[in-house]
Parts: sequence; structure tokens; C-alpha cells
Amino acid sequence: MLNDEQRRAWQPVASSTDLVARHVFAGAIWGQELALWRADDGHVNAWENRCLHRGVRLTIGVNLGSELMCQYHGWRYANRTAGCTYIPAHPADAPARTICNRVYPAVERHGLVWAALEGTVEGAALPELPMDGLVLRPVPVDVPPAEVEAALAAEFGRDRVRWLVQPVDAGRSIIRGVLAEQPAEPLPVLRRWSARLGRLRDRLEALPRPPVAPIPPELHRVDPALAGLPEPGPAGTSLRLRVARKWPVAEDVTAFRLAPLAGELPAFQPGAHIDVALPNGLTRQYSLTNGPDDTAAWVIGVKREPAGLGGSTCLHDAVREGDVLAVSPPRNNFPLRRDGLLTLFIAGGIGLTPLLAMARTLHLARLPYHFHAFARSVAHLPFVDVLDGLGDAVERHIGLDPAATTAKLEAIIGTQGEKHELYVCGPTPFLDAARAIAAAKGWPDTAVHFEYFKNERPRDASNAFEVALARSALTLDVAPGQSIVEAVAAHGIHIPTSCAQGACGTCRVGVIEGAIDHQDVHLTPSEKARGDCLMACVSRAAAGRLVLDL
Amino acid sequence: MLTLYDYELSGSCYKVRLMLGFLGLPHETRHVDFHPGREHKSDAFLAINPLGQLPVLDDDGYVLRDANAILTYLASAHDPGGRWGFGGDAARNGRIAEWLGFASDLTGTIGAARLHDAFFHDIDADAARAGGKRLLRILDEHLWFQERQGAAWLAPGDHPSIADIACFPYTALAQDADLDLADCPAIRRWHDRFKRVPGFTVMPGVFPARE
Amino acid sequence: MSSTEKVELDPAIRDAWHVCAVAADIAPGATAMHCLFGQRLEVARDAAGRPVVRGDGRVLPALERYGFIWTSPGTPPEDLFPLPGYDEPDRKNVVTGSVGIRVSAPRAVENFLDMGHFPFVHTGILGEEPHTEVKEYAVAIDPVADEVVATECQFYQPRAAVGSSGGAKTEYVYRVPHPFCAILYKTSPFDAVRMDIVALFVQPVGEEEIIGHTMMSIIDDRSTATEVRHFQLTIFGQDKPILENQRPRKLPLDPRAETPIRADKSSIMYRRWLTSKGVAYGVIPAP
Ligand SMILES: N[C@@H](CCC(=O)N[C@@H](CS)C(=O)NCC(=O)O)C(=O)O
Ligand code: FES
Ligand SMILES: [Fe+2]
Repeated sequence: MLNDEQRRAWQPVASSTDLVARHVFAGAIWGQELALWRADDGHVNAWENRCLHRGVRLTIGVNLGSELMCQYHGWRYANRTAGCTYIPAHPADAPARTICNRVYPAVERHGLVWAALEGTVEGAALPELPMDGLVLRPVPVDVPPAEVEAALAAEFGRDRVRWLVQPVDAGRSIIRGVLAEQPAEPLPVLRRWSARLGRLRDRLEALPRPPVAPIPPELHRVDPALAGLPEPGPAGTSLRLRVARKWPVAEDVTAFRLAPLAGELPAFQPGAHIDVALPNGLTRQYSLTNGPDDTAAWVIGVKREPAGLGGSTCLHDAVREGDVLAVSPPRNNFPLRRDGLLTLFIAGGIGLTPLLAMARTLHLARLPYHFHAFARSVAHLPFVDVLDGLGDAVERHIGLDPAATTAKLEAIIGTQGEKHELYVCGPTPFLDAARAIAAAKGWPDTAVHFEYFKNERPRDASNAFEVALARSALTLDVAPGQSIVEAVAAHGIHIPTSCAQGACGTCRVGVIEGAIDHQDVHLTPSEKARGDCLMACVSRAAAGRLVLDL
Repeated sequence: MLTLYDYELSGSCYKVRLMLGFLGLPHETRHVDFHPGREHKSDAFLAINPLGQLPVLDDDGYVLRDANAILTYLASAHDPGGRWGFGGDAARNGRIAEWLGFASDLTGTIGAARLHDAFFHDIDADAARAGGKRLLRILDEHLWFQERQGAAWLAPGDHPSIADIACFPYTALAQDADLDLADCPAIRRWHDRFKRVPGFTVMPGVFPARE
Repeated sequence: MSSTEKVELDPAIRDAWHVCAVAADIAPGATAMHCLFGQRLEVARDAAGRPVVRGDGRVLPALERYGFIWTSPGTPPEDLFPLPGYDEPDRKNVVTGSVGIRVSAPRAVENFLDMGHFPFVHTGILGEEPHTEVKEYAVAIDPVADEVVATECQFYQPRAAVGSSGGAKTEYVYRVPHPFCAILYKTSPFDAVRMDIVALFVQPVGEEEIIGHTMMSIIDDRSTATEVRHFQLTIFGQDKPILENQRPRKLPLDPRAETPIRADKSSIMYRRWLTSKGVAYGVIPAP
């Protein structure tokens, strides 16, 4: 068992120069193995060296620049948060946000990378070190740390070199030294010290000593919710984010950059949206536009809708840079498959936002895609700078009337090639048209992925019916005008919701028995026909009674 | 026509496969059932190599054994640019030869311990392991100082050499001999660089780098 | 391999048959030394050619099946699990090699049941990106035979077998008839009805140290035994570094030790089955 001191003390675990680009470095503190990797944005990650899927060491994984990929099943984990962003075995699913590897605090100072097994970055103090010293070549020694420290002090004293002994395990250490001044010619000095330390190592290792048992790794249990099969976690606008920047990105569209007050944002996946609680009491959903290489702050695009209920107007007019907003953790009901041979993105106006995050993901992974952006005018096309970064894959379609739009969609969608996937987002008529064309051209609806911003279909909540909750052994009535969400809430059962109009997919509930009157725009026709789930905020029983998996 | 007498799980044969891949040379492969079949000790194979060892290369009837010899031969016969072999200056050539010798020592230590642990060869594995560990420390120190001087490879020069090819397999397979490379960070970085050289191929036990 | 300490065996493991040698390696009159559960074994044949196994200062039960010699430290059942199809006259039965691996026996079995790693570990042979999806399949405990059975498994494979000529969707059935043995049946490139058999028999040398023995029984009159072995050892050699980098090396049976997904249904079932049998060797029991 490790004591508090061993857990909380900062230990040097690498030289800064050890963490080269696209490499995973193997480190350890007191028998606890670390996978250390530098992302392309410079951030140093120190994670438990164990993929929490099936335990494979992450040091044999691949540093993809903004994600770390495990070698066994290709799971991807995000820079900074270590949240799982993609599970190749289930390309159509969004991994539960709570699948997160263990992250250790790490900082980079004085040419060394420091980590601790517990505590926060602000916690324990780092040892005082010469500011611009020369970091010597580290020398591993199979000898207990205390013995190495004693030998260093006896052998070399402390005047010229500041010695640090990294406790790799009970019986293993790494000697790290920092020379107070940079010599004019460092190379011969480095060679001399490397040779001296090598001799010291050989001498110490040759001394007789009883074998030292290694410290066993501490195995932390995963969240109980993950022990079964993963389900999305509960929501709620629990995050507090600061508006770091607010700027116009198109005619009537304003972008907001939302940064954490402290620490890191939770992991997110392309296609995810957040609920934003507004100062005027309303809650609105916005898609994240960030790619996996851009995880420090979220960027959303908000279109001013004068006819709306005042959500967008409030953000445009009342919210300023520096304001703090209450925001939900990201929720992904619009997951991106990464196993298509070609992915087509078709965006109408502000519908571009989730597709932008997706295209940025495929772009970084060098997977093939085409991006079609439709807009009323050049001035109405949002996030042009981001689109420019995607290069040749983007085609802009500006100022087309409805007939020309339809013709263009016909041409773009065509017949489906092998393993082609289609993602569409935009205003309702645009989305309806694209889906109709894809269906007419024979695309199976499993390959046509879409997200409506709102449900503009006529809805009818006039009937009364009964629902039986299979897992809660409870039967209750849903009155005319009342939704299933509201009816079960009255009995203390909470179904997470977000848009409350059958567009976003958050309130999906399994149906075990009964005929459903689907009133949402989230499910595909074949999902609706299967009849095994419904959107509880709008859908109802077609007749009689429903048995829900609740 | 080039024909390689090959065993997929042999690190020594892998050296030749790497070279063939880097040079993009078409060739035929004769699988020799080294384990479990011990076909390399059969009369038919002893007629090809009386030492009873793999790999052996046959280039239109010119039959050559020993990985270092084959690498040297391929570099002079089939690498028109002279980038891999002894085409450079004397200082580079000397270093290449030095590390080729080192590669044979790796085969005799890490390679031997691996044959014991994975394929049950009857040798003193602990002595072989200890020898392998000593070699890894020497190699790591060399590579650390190479990096420090902006040099990516074992021998001086911008291009990797047959010395890198010869030393790669048994260091990359060190875990098969129960040797952990966590204490050899410069070797691990050199592996990543080597895996990104165009034409690199993997063998069972070696994972590719991406990009 | 390093020596392993002797531990008390749980009854499920103690009274089972365990593979301890390749039958063809034990010539009549010869004696070979082997290791099981950290104990030295002497494997030989008597004048009639029957296997004789000695260990722990006594003669242990012995059996020859499927190309291997089996023994038991306890009181084993009369016979080993059946392997339907193995005796069909037109099959090629090949012992494809044995490899020492530093991992526990159940981790090796679990890897054998896993399809999700094909594109990443057996790239270009048993899988290939972007074909990464593991489709829904069925898994159950067969109550009569007391074994884990996974059916309706399918996966896209660029080169499913040694005789394959191109990519194909391959169907699989998996069986775990023994805590340390697993068998798979997969689409044969040469027979529309019958399936090829690949078996993994794990010899637990220690709790974290095994010899993985593989055997194939295939319908293929074209490939040579060398080619079949080469194919199978390539696959096994690719799994080895994964297995040796799994931590902990023992299989954790606590459902909260690791994070399964739907593709891991057979592994979840296998872990529960081990728990229900009280298997303690090579595992970290559930709390
Ligand atoms: N010096 C030879 C040694 C290669 C070697 O050890 N080959 C192994 C296979 S990995 C072998 O054939 N061993 C059989 C033996 O040495 O008897 C070379 O570098 O090619
Ligand atoms: S063990 Fe890491 S992805 Fe499965
Ligand atoms: Fe495998």
C-alpha cells in the first residue's frame, strides 16, 4: 500500500525532450505505470498505463496527435480528459461520456515533466530547481530509491548538480540530474556525467541485497454504470463555462467560445450538443463545432431567430464576453461512424455546426469525406475560416432557389456507393428534401443520418392512455396534453430530456409492448417501424397501453 | 529472382524482409517450418545451409546465409542510390560494421532468451537475458546522444542504414525475452522513427506506427 | 521460463484434464520434462504406446486426444470434451504449434473469443479497417454440456483462412467447453456447409505463464501442413504482445474491473461462468 506522501509528492517522470511528437513514453512512480504523451497542441498527458476496456498498456498504443489509440481494439481517448471518443466495434454508437481513463496530474517545469499519483496541479509544491539548468541524461538503476539517494550524496555532493531520484518502484530508480549552469559545450559534459552515473549504477547493482518485492499496481474499479453495457449518463446544466470570446461568424450568426473556469472540459464526440441555460430562464441546444484537436474550449454557433422564443436573441444581445453560463455536459445523439469508405456531409445554413465537428474528425484521421455547404449568400455562410481549413473536401453552394437546391441535392446524393454514409443537417424543408432524395435513390435509412434542430411537424397530444413501467412495476395514466416524461416525473421517475420537442433524441425510452404514435423527428422510418423505442417527450400510445423499459 | 528461405516468427529473417520492403524488391518466400517442425535441421535444408540456420537468400543461384551478409549483399547489389549500405564515407561505414556486429550479439542474447521462453530451446536463458539487458543499456545511451546531436540513426548520416535494420528486430521483440524497454526511452523513440521509414513492414509481435 | 510458485488449486481446475504435451513430441521410449501448475512433470510412453505422466511423486491420470497428451492433478472425468467433426476422414488435422506466453490462461481464452481486435491486431488477415463493426451475436451457457457457446457471429475478413483467395464475410461459432480451452468453428473457403475448426488448448505453467497450444482441423486439400502452421503461428504471434501487455495479467472477474461493450458479450458470459464454477486459478476473483 502506498502512503499519502508517496501518492501526493510530485515526481520527475521524464525529461521534456523525452516527450517527442506522436510518441507514447513509458513512466512509473512507485510501481504505478504511466503512459505519458504530448498532444500536437503541446499538452502533456499522464494517464494510468491501462486501457480500461481490456487492460492493455497504453504505452503500446498510438499517439494520433489529439487522441491516443489503444492497440487492442482501437478505442480512442481524448487529449486532456482521457474520455473515450470512439469505439470501432460499434461505429454507430456514441460511447458513454463517462468512459474515462485515469488521469494523473502532470506539469512541465525546468526541462522536466512532473507527475503525482494524486492531488491537483495547484497542490503540493515542486522542488526548487535552477531555471535554465542542463538536464542530464537520466540513468535507470535497479536499486531502491533511498539507497540511490544516499549513494549520490556520498559520491557527488550537491553543489554542482541538483539530484532527483525518481522512485520507479520499491527496488528501481531513475537518477535525474540538473546542472546549475549551461556549459558552453554541453555535449562532453553530458557524456562525462552519463559515464559516471553508469559506473555508479553498475557498482550499486552489484552490491549484495535481498530481493525487493515490486509494489503491486493499484487497480481502481470503474463506475458501476459501466460494468454492464454503457448507457448515456444523466444530464443537467451542471457545468459553469465562461464566454471567452463572442464574435460574428456570418450574417445573423454569432459564435461563442466557452471555456472552463478551472480544469478541463469533459470529453465530447463529434455530433454532440450541449444544453445552454440562458439568463432569461430558457434552455437551448447547440451543437459543438470543435474537432478532436481543439478541446480547450467549446465553440457553438448561434443564429439569431427573431421569430423564435427569445433564446437566440438573448444570447446575441444580453450575453457578453466574460459572462458565465450554465451548460450541460455534452450529449451525443448524432454519432459519427468512422468506418465508411466515403462520408458525405450536407449542411444547410446553420445546420453546418455538428457536421463541422464531424468533418474535422475525419479530416484529422485522413478518412475520405465530401462536405457540401449550402447558404443563402456568401455572407450567410458561417465558420468560413474553419471550412477553409478543410481544403478541397468542401464545396460551397451559394444562393440557390428551392428548385436549384433540389437539383443540386439530387446530383450530390446520387446512388449510394459501397459503405457510403450520408449526414444531413439544416432547416426542416432542406432536411426533408435531402432525406426524400436519398430514399428515392435507394439509400437504406441506416446509412442516412440526420439531426433536426426543431420539430416542425404538427403534434397531437389529445389522447389519454396508460403506461406500464416494466422495471419499476408501476402503471400510470397519461392525461391529454401531458407527455410521458411529465406523467412519469409525477411518480418520481426522471427521463433525461433536452429539446423537449422530439428532435434531439435525449429522451429515448425502450418500448416492450404496445402500438406507438411516433411524433418525433429523431428516429428513422425503420426505427419507428421496429416499434422498440420512442421519444418520451412527444410520442404517445396509438391505442390502449404501452409497456416501457423503465 | 530473389528467393528467401523464411520463418515468419524469426527476428533474423525479419531483417531480410525489412530490407526487401525498404528496397521494394519483389521476391518469393519459402516457408521453412522452424517451429514446431525443426525443418531447418532437415537434410534438405542442411544442403542449402550446413549451419542449419535461417535466413538464407537465393539470388538467381547465388546462395547466401547469415542476415548481416544478406543485408550487405542486398545493399550493394540492389540499392542503386547506395543509401543503406557501405556507400558513404569511412566514418559511416565503420559505424555500420560496428553495429552489425552488435546486432549479432543481440541475436545471441535477446534472440536466444526469446527462443527459450517462447519456443522452449534448451539454453541458459537467464544468462542470455542479462547479456541482452547490458546491450540494451549501451544502445540506449548511444541513441540518446545521437538524438542530442540531431542524428536519428545508429550510424552518422541522414539516412538509416542496414545497421538500423539489423538491430531493430531483436530490440523490438525484447519483451518476448522478458526484457522491458521502459528503461530504454531512446530505443523506443528510435523504434517509432524507424517504423515511419517508407517501406517499413511489420512482423508478428511488432505493431506499426501510424502516419 | 522463470519458476512459478505452487498454489492450492480450486476443485474445478484440480479435477479437470489439462494439456501437458504435444503427442507427436513424445516418442516411444523417450521421456520429456514438462511443467503444469508450477510442478515438474515427466511425460513418457509405455511399451504399448500409451502416455504415462508422472508428477508430485506419483503416476497421474493420462489421456491422448486431438494430438495432445492430457493429465490431471485431481480426479478427472472419464473423457475429455467432445470435438464433433474432428474425426471426419477428409479433414486435415494439424497441430499448429505451441508458444510460451507470459499471461494467465483465462486471458488467453478470452482473447480467442474476441472479434473486435481483428482489424487492429490481425490487420490484413482476420480484419481490416474500416471494417471494424462487431454485429450483434448470441451467447448462452449450454446447460447440458455446461459450456459457453456464442453463435451467429460474423466478421468481414480479408484473408480468413490459409486457403482464402480474397475478402469475405466469415461466420463463427465459439465454444468454451473447459475453463482453459476454447474452440471456434468458422466458414471454410472450400466447403459451403461444414466449418473449419481451430482449437486453443492452454497449458497453465503458472498462474501468469502459459503454453498456448493450437490445433486446426480444416477442410482443405490444397494447403500443406507447413502453410497451415505458418498461418496459425502468424496469428498467434500477433496476439502474443497484446496478451503480454495486459494488466493485470490475471483475468479480473469483478464486473467493475474493466469496461465491457456489447461486442464483449461472450467475454462477460465467460467471466460469469468462471465465477459460477468457483475457478480461482489465473483469475482475480470477484469481491
Ligand atoms: N547468424 C545468423 C543467425 C540467425 C539465427 O539465429 N537464426 C535462427 C532462427 S531465428 C536459426 O535458424 N537458428 C537455428 C540454429 O541456430 O540452429 C544470422 O544472423 O542469420
Ligand atoms: S483493450 Fe484497449 S481498446 Fe480494448
Ligand atoms: Fe487474436
